Order: sequence, then structure tokens, then C-alpha cells
Amino acid sequence: MISNLKTNEKNLIKMSIGGFATQPSFKNPGYIPNNDGQAVIYPGMFGVVNNIKVGDNAFGWAGDHVEPGVSIDSENPNEHFALHYLVCTGNKAIVRSGEAKGAIGIVTGEHARNLIHFENKILDKICIGDQIDIITHGRGLKLLDFPNIEIKKIDPKLLKSLFLKIVKKKLIVDVAIELPIRIMGSGAELNSEYVDQDLMSGDRALMKKLKIDQMKLGDLIAINHADHRWGRSYKKDYVSIAICIHGDSVMSGHGPGIMTIMTGKKKDLSWKINKKANIKNLLKIKI
Amino acid sequence: MKIETNENLLVNVSVMGSVCQPNFQGLPAEPYRLDSDGIPFLLPTWGSIVHNVSVGDSAFGWEADCIHPGVSIKYPSEGGNRGLNILSCVGNEAIIMNGEAKNSVGFVSGKSGRFSEQIIIHFEKKVRERISINDKILIKSLGVGLKIKNFENIFCKSLSPQIFNKMNIKIKNKKLNIPVTHIIPEHLVGAGSGLTSESGSLHIQTTDLNEMKKYKLNNLRLGDFVYVENYDSSYQHGFLRKAWSIGIVGQTNGPRAGYGPGLTILMSSKTNDGIPKLNSNANIVNYLKFKK
Repeated sequence: MISNLKTNEKNLIKMSIGGFATQPSFKNPGYIPNNDGQAVIYPGMFGVVNNIKVGDNAFGWAGDHVEPGVSIDSENPNEHFALHYLVCTGNKAIVRSGEAKGAIGIVTGEHARNLIHFENKILDKICIGDQIDIITHGRGLKLLDFPNIEIKKIDPKLLKSLFLKIVKKKLIVDVAIELPIRIMGSGAELNSEYVDQDLMSGDRALMKKLKIDQMKLGDLIAINHADHRWGRSYKKDYVSIAICIHGDSVMSGHGPGIMTIMTGKKKDLSWKINKKANIKNLLKIKI
Repeated sequence: MKIETNENLLVNVSVMGSVCQPNFQGLPAEPYRLDSDGIPFLLPTWGSIVHNVSVGDSAFGWEADCIHPGVSIKYPSEGGNRGLNILSCVGNEAIIMNGEAKNSVGFVSGKSGRFSEQIIIHFEKKVRERISINDKILIKSLGVGLKIKNFENIFCKSLSPQIFNKMNIKIKNKKLNIPVTHIIPEHLVGAGSGLTSESGSLHIQTTDLNEMKKYKLNNLRLGDFVYVENYDSSYQHGFLRKAWSIGIVGQTNGPRAGYGPGLTILMSSKTNDGIPKLNSNANIVNYLKFKK
């Protein structure tokens, strides 16, 4: 945290939005093809995942695209997109119905649904369909001294908690892992305000060599030569900083998902490796 | 001369709405809107519970596109929502009927229209965090049909007697003298022109910064009462020399061309029978019992 980091936080809107705890869902017959074409069936997406949390391993689970904690969504398409465009990582979530009514959680990222962390004793009480409102805060956030760095979907309190340094007018962000641009896959087809982008974990030997297989859910990530301003594309000398939000996948072109939080030119934005750069530590999330 | 109205003949009808959700268009539509220079932006816009913007706050400077202060409500069916939108009047009392904030009382502060069709309600900030999306809010609507004796050409709309009686309006030389914070020239009126004046909003234009300065519009606040020159909102909103309208600033400025702060029109006449009296205190927070 830099004590004099100037932002426009006081001009941001705090706005409520509601979503509902989702039910796991499969397309008939439920199988997906793995990297070798074998049909497999795995849980992980949607629903309330009780035993995998932010801070846990992104690899190794008998699951696919594991979404830690509670995944919420709305069946109304326009509300679904509003959830994706307004909710920021680090936002406060409040359970509005059911046995856990009144309980407080925290947004840990965004996949095809928004992911909310609650402590175990609260998770036990959450039922599919329960309404969870989020007090969105962060859309429009800017770094006033770095007008060319774009900030995406983080609560101002997460921005303040990041390990940051300014060296020769360049913002240096601590991240746990650097990903090479050539392994960035599914998600390149979407605008960069929506959902995430998967790293492609199919080359298992490379994952091991670069220690990407030690990645944790919630890790801060840097990608060199990635421009995530209006989409997710290769552009030399651009840098994108992201958060690992969901677990590994067996499908070609897929793998753990990363959600962009900062993007800009190399002359303004860089990174330093620090294994502690995980939102579980930064936001002091209680498991 | 004392102002007389037909207040005792007005019908007091309950209308209901639910706290509404923010909405965005789905893929393949881009989430961005364009600002007046053609630059894409993505910011919160109308609807929902806004926790940190209230009537009395500045209408400018927010990272938002025409945000509604406080809480916005809507009725699920189109006809029912039209009922809510037309009958609710600025100044009417609103009561939360269920959920954690049940029985909390607020007041209607504005309307939004054409695309969002919502009613904007002020509740104090400490109540807002207890309000949930979809909570039901009841408005005991009163005001549609309001007439001012000896001023039959003046159309009142979305105007409750609760607020009309507090606006410090005086009669001088057979004209109404109406306290307002600002006078808006007709060439700075934008989105809303040509649409119905019974619900929804008419927006001030703010892209020409020199004109903004000239008419001292930069210090507009949410809840300010303003006078629009040469604008007739008797039925629909449109240009007419000598006509005038009174509006309340209902929502904030936005980056799009034609979409500055929105006005909910409360009075309008085709003739020269109402004149503005500049007074910086002409804001709803000074007229009603108000807690931030």
C-alpha cells in the first residue's frame, strides 16, 4: 500500500445489486471432452462449493473450473450482465433471504457467475436460490497519477491493500506468478469487462516447469504483452494484472481463470514476484 | 394574495413498486456507452439502491451516468408501472412494506423515463443498507389533478400538495413568483424533448462548458428547483416562446451528449404567468423533513 496513492474513490457510486445462489447445471449427457478426447464428468462450476476456498490450490482438484464459495447469478439476462459489469472483487455481500439472512460475505472474483466467499458456518445455512445482494463499489475507479493505467472491477479497499511501489514514475504491483502470453486462451472472444480468461494448462510439462501448477485461487498474476483495455489481446509492451478466480480444467484451451484488474503500457505498469500476493492475505479473508 | 388550490378534492391512491436491479444489455452488445466526444465508457447508471448519493448533493462529478439518488422502484407489469409512474408525485410519502427496513418512511424526489421508467425515492442513508433488491415500497400518491385558483393555464404534474405548499410561491402583479436556484435557457434542454411530461425526465445539456459557466449551472444540486425558459411541458415537452416550466433536479449529470442532470417537470404554462425568483435555498431538502 502506498499512503499517498491518489484515486477518485470519493466520486464512485455505491449501488446494490441482487443475485441468487445457483444450482449446479449440466448439458445432457453431462460429459465434457478432456485434452485427449476422453469423456469426463466433473463438478465445480455453479452452486455452493463447500470445501474449496480462495487461497486453496487452483490445480489438482477432481473438478473442472472449480468456483470457490457461492456462485450467484440472475436468470434475467439484463440483470446477469449488470452483475458482471458492476460487481467488483472485494465488494461486500449480504444474504437477504433464507437461514443465513443477514450474513456478510465478500466477492472474490467473477467467472460465468459472481463468486462470493462466506465462512463455513454461514455456508452450511445457504440454500440454492437464496438472494444475496452486493453493494457494488469500484466501477469507474481511476489512479489519478496514472491516467493511462486502466483499473477494472476492484473495490477501492482491495486497490489500497495491494503491495505497490512507484519506481521512476512506474507503478510496480506485487504478483504471485507471471504467465506467458502464449498460454492465454478461452475468453479472448469476450469483451474484457465480462467474465475471465483461462490460461491453457494442456501443456502439463510447461505448467510444472514454470511452477504455474502451484498457483492458488486468489493469486495476483501478471501477463506481459497483454492488452486488456477493450478485449484480451496480444500487444507488445502492454502489461495486464489479474486475479486467479477459478480452478483448472481438463478441456483444451482452458485452465484456471484469471480476471483482469489493471492494464496499461509497460512504461507505466510493471510487477514484482511476491508469493504472498493473494487476495486472501490482502483482504484478510477469514476462512 | 393567498394561493388557493383544489387540494381537498384530490384523490389519494396507493401505488406500489419494487426496488429494482441495475440492467445492462447482453452479448453481443458491448457494455459501453459513448460520451459526447465518442469515447466509450462503462459506469453505473439508473436503478437500484444508491448508497452514497442523496438529494442535496452535487449533480456533477460522480463516476456515473445519470444516477438516481437513493432508491429506485418499478412495478413488474408495464401498465402497473405506468400507474406508478404517473400517479406518484414529488413530495409524496413512501413506506417500505417488507424486509429488514420495513416501515421506514421516505419521500418521492423524482422520476426517470423513456428507458428506465422508475420512481426515485429518498431514504436516509442508514436505512438504505437494510433495504434489499425486490423489497416492496408503497406510495400514497396525491397530486395528480392539482390546480391553482385563478391560474387555470398552469398545468401541475408530478407535484404533490405536500411540496407545493412549501415552495414559498407568492402572487405578485397577477403572476406566480416561484423560488428557484437556476434558470435554464431553452437551448440547453436535451433528452426528453417531445416525450410525455407526466412521467419521466427532461435533461439539461452540459457538453458546452462555456454555456455551463455562463448560466452558472456547475453548482446544480440534486433536489434543486429550476425554471426552464421558453419551454412548454403542458402535455409533451417542447419549445414555445413565453412558455415556462418548473422542474426538480432528479438525477445526476452523465457523459452522453444530451444527457445532463434530469428534471422532473412539476409545473408548466404556455403564457407569461409565472416568473422565477432566484434563491439558492430552493431545494427539496429545505422544504421537507430531511435526514441525510
